[in-house]
This record gives sequence, structure tokens and C-alpha cells, in this order.
Amino acid sequence: MVAMGLLWLRVLCVSSASLCVRFFSLTLRQGRMSDPFAGNDASPFGRRQRRPRGARIPVTVVTGFLGAGKTTLIRELLTRPEGANTAVVVNEFGEIGIDHALLRSSSDTTVLLGNGCICCAVRTDLQESLRTLFAERGRGAVPSFERVIIETSGLADPGPVLQTIASDRALGDVFHLQGLVAVVDAPGGAGNLDQAPEARQQVALADRIVLTKTDLADSAAAAALTNRLGALSAAPVATAIDGAIDPAFLLEESLDLSARVAAHEHDHAHAHSHGIDSFAVFFEGPVPWAVFEQAMAVLTGLRGADLLRVKGLVAVAGCRGPVVVHAVQHVAHRPVELEDWPDGDRRSRLVFITRNLAKAQVEQLFAVIAAIGPNAPRGNEILTSGP
Amino acid sequence: MAESGKTNGGSLIWNFKPLGHNALDGFGGMGEGMSMQLAKDGRRILWMAHESAPKNFTAVDVSDPRQPKIVARADLPHAKMRSNSLETVGDILAIAYQTQQTGDPQAGFELFDISVPENPRRIAFFDRSGPHSRGVHQLWFADGEYIHMSSGSADFRPTHPKDDQFYQCIDVRNPSKPVEVGRWWLPGTSAGDNVAPPKRHEGDKDTGFRPHNTNVYPERPDRVYMGYIDGGMIILDIADKAHPKMVSRWDYHPPNYGFTHTVVPLFERDLLIVSDECTRNDGVDWPKLVWIVDNRAEENPVPIATCPMPPVESFARRGGRFGAHNLWENLPKANCWKSDQIVFGTFFNGGLRAFDIANPYQPKEVAYFVPEVANAPTGACQINDVFIDDRQIVYAVDRHAGGLYTLEMDF
Repeated sequence: MVAMGLLWLRVLCVSSASLCVRFFSLTLRQGRMSDPFAGNDASPFGRRQRRPRGARIPVTVVTGFLGAGKTTLIRELLTRPEGANTAVVVNEFGEIGIDHALLRSSSDTTVLLGNGCICCAVRTDLQESLRTLFAERGRGAVPSFERVIIETSGLADPGPVLQTIASDRALGDVFHLQGLVAVVDAPGGAGNLDQAPEARQQVALADRIVLTKTDLADSAAAAALTNRLGALSAAPVATAIDGAIDPAFLLEESLDLSARVAAHEHDHAHAHSHGIDSFAVFFEGPVPWAVFEQAMAVLTGLRGADLLRVKGLVAVAGCRGPVVVHAVQHVAHRPVELEDWPDGDRRSRLVFITRNLAKAQVEQLFAVIAAIGPNAPRGNEILTSGP
Repeated sequence: MAESGKTNGGSLIWNFKPLGHNALDGFGGMGEGMSMQLAKDGRRILWMAHESAPKNFTAVDVSDPRQPKIVARADLPHAKMRSNSLETVGDILAIAYQTQQTGDPQAGFELFDISVPENPRRIAFFDRSGPHSRGVHQLWFADGEYIHMSSGSADFRPTHPKDDQFYQCIDVRNPSKPVEVGRWWLPGTSAGDNVAPPKRHEGDKDTGFRPHNTNVYPERPDRVYMGYIDGGMIILDIADKAHPKMVSRWDYHPPNYGFTHTVVPLFERDLLIVSDECTRNDGVDWPKLVWIVDNRAEENPVPIATCPMPPVESFARRGGRFGAHNLWENLPKANCWKSDQIVFGTFFNGGLRAFDIANPYQPKEVAYFVPEVANAPTGACQINDVFIDDRQIVYAVDRHAGGLYTLEMDF
């Protein structure tokens, strides 16, 4: 029997005038001899997972301006063995150019491609499309796809797509945001970044950046664009010619970008434009979950709109493995405890992508809340320990 | 074979990676006995009972799960019987024999010395034949000392012919001379009981008041967890093996069709996982479920959830049965995987399915494997039983033709 106090997960929903803040709250339950939530392998965050997505279906969001080469990239991926059994969600069938590969129509919104793949057009909204795909998969109406790729429309800010998966609880139970890929074409990319805030947003939020059509731009311009992308984002950049790229670059999740982001801070100090910044925050020693949760609640409550993405691993006090956290503006994905750390570094590390919110502000906030958190010295100890 | 998620010629696969397959040379109709022997030479031998005659058991070397190889196979003593259930402890194999008709010979169980897996040698036959007995349907053998089983016997006369089997505990510490040490039946099912027989389930729902699985775990050696078919779930106190006492009974039929099959306790969580068995084709007895039961108050088990099933309208008419059957029972043996967070169940044409029960009120499906079985007599797979070893390799068998599938968890 489990004699220690046991933890219970619940969703906290705090509404303010125009936004909904959600984060996960743990409450200590005391004095129970046994608990159906406990168990030998139990974690306060549910079953410990081998990987952040656990059993959920990975979703890769491909974003990029019109003509950037998103469809070419996806079409090429579908021809590779690694791209087999992919469900592609597009706005219009025409965009992906599937006619030659079309095998048969499953429904008016879904067509089956070769290679076990499916293509689904967003008919009403993305949530509905994903729900339908999952339901049809369960009853065998469409093949047992093992990943989803969402191609966003060129002008889209990817933030809402990321939020959709995080905020729809039913979707978040079965789909996991594996990564956001921004596609930037060498001839047009610089102009789009100059003129369109959405283009800057796509790059700033991305986990991976794919540079296309470098053969159609002069090398100096392509190099300048690469530098500029490096200033806007710490995400790895790879080049694709005619859509050809290592599938792992698109499909695999990078567990920890903090070292990269830290290096990026150093290399690109003061280079950011339009107030968008990315930085990494590290904590030594385990963090009480209540401290982390309260700090994030303050951040999302006061500056949610400027908190473009937060992603990282937290060494939560009392947890064996790291807890994967991921928030997009006001919305937090369900935290997941991993079976083990990915490397020897046991520090908590969080990557922040923010607008007009500085690293020092975030660090100070966490420090202040930790100072009155569960593991902080009691007030009378501070008073009596003065000089 | 296909990778995780691949369609693999009509198969449905999610979060499993198929490793290997052996159709067992045309005798791929497997029952619900699967047990792994760690042979002295280091090989992992999976012993499997067949669903029906003429085969008794097949042993497969699964040291390399990508290439399961048959190492031993035996025929039944006669054609009007089946083995169905077996267990191994060390180098001893215990296998259940159930005849088609009461009074037929060879009803009971047999013990083999399998120290040389290629050459199983009989140690003893424990005879349970009798005028009202079909012998042993299922046996549990985990501690090397006692067999807990569902069987009839020569000296037992049921009040109704369908109630011919009851719980028996057999001491096999001297395997050449097994001795019965205790027995229990639902009061009213034995002629001469001083209580009235249980009310029969109506019409075709009457499948008998008798135990199916009789599980005993080292965490609670004083308890037997029984699926009691039409009697629901029954927990026995066997602190005194000679005088078992009922601790609790949870019976949820009617309204459901009967046939409670397996009860798996999760001790750290005070939960019970309870499975029904689907016994009718084409969804006639739907729903057949896997239940999550709160057992904190042992005398009053409370069902709190069922594992989500795929849509009945999509599976019921695929051929054969669709619904719950066997569970992975966290067999208390060193070479077995154990979990109190994941439940594995077999669902006939619904395949093998895994559920995350971290939140016991909301089990979630996390993986499935529904193979396309060539020459399936019902037109669809009938995945019957599952075994998981300490390498986390998952073994699933088909009831009619598919034989053995080996899989890796990918979740």
C-alpha cells in the first residue's frame, strides 16, 4: 500500500475578460491507505512515458508562405518509406496535387493515397477534421495511419493551430504536437519576412526550418537569408532541393533545444526584430510543481499573448523522470513525465519564445515565487537569520 | 512484416511493431494457455495449449522473437477432448484436459517434465473423470506447489449439468502424486446443498455457474480471484485451503449476458481488472467488456469504468466473435512483464488491445493489433490470448488459424 501522500491531477481553468488560462494543478492528498490512482509505475502526471508523445499520434505542422514549397516537401516525404502511413490534412485537395496518386475516395473529405497514406481536406474546422480522422481510423474506415501532417495555409499564423491541439482536451488525448516546421523559400523569403508579420511568426515559432529553392536564388542572398533566420530563431535550418530532405528532420521531435537556444542567445544578442525573442532558462535542483505552476500561471495570466511558446523539461520535486511541459500563449499542453532523462544533465531547462518579454523578467518571476514556495525558508527563519 | 501503424494487407496496427509470425504448420488454432519456460540452456520456450483436437500443445523457441521456431508438439490422447489451458513452473508443465462429454476418459490434468523441451516426459496424470465431469477447463500454476483450477470430479453431482465445474486446489509439491486439498462451489450448484440452486440465466444466456479463471498471487496467497461465468466475479478466502470461504461476489448479469472470465488484481491500487468472454458470433452477446473495479472495500467491489471498445457496428459483422476474452494476468513469475498502468486484452476479431489505466475512471486505448489471418474460417482473426515476457515482447495467438504473433510495444 502507498502510505505517502498521493498526488492528483486536475485542470485549473481561470477565466478573465477575454482569455482562458489553463494549467495543470497538483493537489496533495493525505492520509489514504490506498489510491486507485497510485501504483508501482504511477506518476502524478499519469503513466511515465518513454517519449513525450507517449502513445499519442504525432502531429507535424508544416507552415510557410504561398510558394514556399510546403506541398513539394510533403509530397516528397510521402514517397519515402519513412512517410508511409501518414494522414495529411490540407485546406484544399488541389494544393497537395494528389490526383495522380489517388486510389479511391473514402468520403467527400478524405481520399486514400498510395503508401498507406490518407489526405483529408479541412472542411469545417481543424478540430472536426482531426476528430473525424481518428474516429474513422478506429473503425477501420481509413488505414491505420501513424502520424498526421497538417499543411497550414500560407498566410496563417501557426499559433492557433498549435493551440487547437493543446486546448481541445479530447484531441490532446490522442494527438501530440510533434513539431512545427517552417518552410522558407530562398527567392521570396526575405521579402515575406520584411512585409508580413505572419512570416516572422512562422519562423519564430518553428521547431525546424526548411530552406527551399536555394538553386533559384543567388548564393549571397541565400546566405543572408540563412543568417537572418538564425537571428529570428534558434531552430535548426536544413535545405531541401525539390522537397528532398532527411525525413527525420521533419518528423522526429527534438526533446531539448535549450543548449541550442542558449548558444543562440549568445550569438545573436540584440539581433532580434519586432520584439520577438527566444531564450533558455535553467534551474538547478528540483522545482516544486506548485512553484512552476504558479509562475506559469502568472506569466500566462499577465502576458499570455506574448508567450508565443514555452517548451522544456522540468525536474519536478518528487518525480523520477523529467516532466515535459509545453505551452502556447495562454494554453498549456498536458504535462508528461518521462521514464528517464535524455542525458546526464538533470537541470530543468525551458525554452521561451516571447514578444517583448525578457529573459531577466522570467527568471526573476520564477525566483520570487520559489522564494515563497514549499521549499523556501519560513518567514521567521529569514527574520531571525539577518545580520 | 509491417512497421507500427502499417496497414499490412488489411491488418490494423497501432503502437505495436510486429516482429514475427508462425502459423504453426497448419495447426494455428490456439487456446488460452501460454507460458514461458526459461530452459537450462538459456532458450526461452513458449508453451501453448491448442484450442481443439487433434493437437495438445506446441512449444516454440522464442529466444529470437523475430523467428519463433517450433521445438515440440504433442497430440491429445483422443479426439473428443481439448487441452485449452496450461502453465509451466521451472521444468514442470501442467496442462488441463477437458472432454466433450461427461464420463469420457482422460478428463483431468497432466504434469510433464520439460527439462528437455524437445522431449516432454509424463510425470503424472491427475484423473478428474466421472459420470458428471468433463474434467479441467482451466488451471493456474504459479508457485510450483499448488494448482488452482476449474474442474469437475467423480464425486461431484451438479444440480444443473452446466454447473459441472467448481474450484479445486491441488497440492503438487510431490508432482508424481497430486492431492486435492480444497474445493469450493457456488452454494446451490451441488446436489445436496441446503440452499436453492441459482436462478438460471434466460434462454440462450444460460452458460453455467462455474469458475473460469482461478488466479492466486503471492501478494495475497490467501485469495482466489475467479471469473465465475454466469455467477459474475467471486473472491475466495483460502487462508485455510481446506475450507475456502467467499469474500465477495459482484454479479452484473442480467442485464448483460453472462460469462465472467478473468479477474486480475492490481494490489498497489486496490483495483481489479475483470474480463467477460464473448461466446457468440456476430455480436449476439454484445457488449462483452473489460471492467475496472474499485476493490478498496473488498467485500463490496464497485465497477468504475470499462475499457473503450471499437465501434460495435464496425466489428460485429466482420466474422466470428467480437468482444473481450483473455487479459494479460501479470503472471507472478520471474520471466513475465508486470504493469499496473497498462491492461492488455484479447477481443477475438477486435484483435489485441492495450489500455492506459493511469486514470482508472477513464481508461484510454493506446495500441491495437488486428491481423489479417489467411484462411480464417470465420473470415476474420479471432485473437484469443496474450502473453508478455520480461523483455516486453508481446505474444498473441489466434483461436482458429493464425498461430502465434510476436510484437513489440511502441507506446
